[in-house]
Amino acid sequence: MLKSLRLVIAVLVACVAAATGLSLTYAWTAPRIAEQDRLAEERSLQAVLPEADDFTQIDDPAVIEAATAAAEPTDLQGVYRATRGGVDEGWAVKVASRGYGGPMQLVIGLDTSGSVTGVSILAMNETPGLGTKVETEEWFMAQFMDLPPGFTDTDVRALDSISGSTRSAHGVRNGVAAAGRIFAEVLSVMEGGS
Amino acid sequence: MAEWFRTFRQGIAIENPLTVLMIGLCATLAVSTQLKNAVFMGLAVVFVITMSNVLVSVFRKHIPSEVRIPIFIVVIASFVTIVDLVMKAFVPSVYQVLGIWIPLIVVNCMILGRAEAFAYNNRPLLSIADGMGMGTGFWLVMVILAAIRELFGTGKIVWFGSTLIALPSGYEPPSLLLLFPGAFLVFGFMIAGSRWLNERSQARAEARACRR
Repeated sequence: MLKSLRLVIAVLVACVAAATGLSLTYAWTAPRIAEQDRLAEERSLQAVLPEADDFTQIDDPAVIEAATAAAEPTDLQGVYRATRGGVDEGWAVKVASRGYGGPMQLVIGLDTSGSVTGVSILAMNETPGLGTKVETEEWFMAQFMDLPPGFTDTDVRALDSISGSTRSAHGVRNGVAAAGRIFAEVLSVMEGGS
Repeated sequence: MAEWFRTFRQGIAIENPLTVLMIGLCATLAVSTQLKNAVFMGLAVVFVITMSNVLVSVFRKHIPSEVRIPIFIVVIASFVTIVDLVMKAFVPSVYQVLGIWIPLIVVNCMILGRAEAFAYNNRPLLSIADGMGMGTGFWLVMVILAAIRELFGTGKIVWFGSTLIALPSGYEPPSLLLLFPGAFLVFGFMIAGSRWLNERSQARAEARACRR
């Protein structure tokens, strides 16, 4: 009895000490991490819509719900309204799309007519040198910019993939297709309504 | 002091965790596609293994052997989480590429293995030497492996956006090197190389002993 009590106390002390250390580290790093995340997001939004000077995240639950449904099978992480001097410049859609090495976080910029202004990869875990070609092969990203306004899944599917990194390229394509669906089903309708 | 250096050197050469003990291979093969990743991943491992060795060694008399493994894991996981948070806060660009491999240091058997096999039975000072030696050995092999794979697999070595070395443009990089089979091939040659070096230095040591 005494023996097992000693074991319990030993584990308990170790856990309490570890938790204290971790919470101190967390308290110290949390503000910096939040700041870094905010900066990274801002940079990626700016990269896909260079003309815009202000981004507001849309938090209307009805819109988010509809957009999340439209984004399936990718995972919607945020929709932003981009403006320049108060005038609508377009939209930015942040989605997590499945690549080869797990989810790829993409930000897709759309102008007010629904064509792609830019695609940037916020985070990915693709194989360096193979999957990462989606970022380094310029023609691959450029072809999304040539999609017509109000493009559909069929338009996206017709684009070229990269040999050797098919799954990663599909991840990006699915993300762009999801942004197209969100625009067609939610954003363009919402604009008409307001 | 001599014992300290011997323990430290043992981790790098005679008992190198990767080429001799062959533990912790999983993360090594996955991360060693780029020199930059390997350097920072290795540093994270050096920190975690040294700190966990110190802590385990200092409290070794108070850790009941029945529950030692859970306690080791708690200690290791805490240090890994600290590295994870600090990297995220101060070097986000590196954190982004290492991603899941930092949290996975927790289950790297090399660190638990050293806590169990060395730190639990040795004095703190020697445990520091063991942690640093093992960590450095791991770091060194992973960095060399990554340099070879990146240079010959992509044709150049890139460090934070600037190209360090580039092979002539006529070179067609075989992407095999960046995949797991390539990693195993290069790693096999590195094992052979390190065995050759170890045997040679042992033979020399013996020859010196005979002459005396």
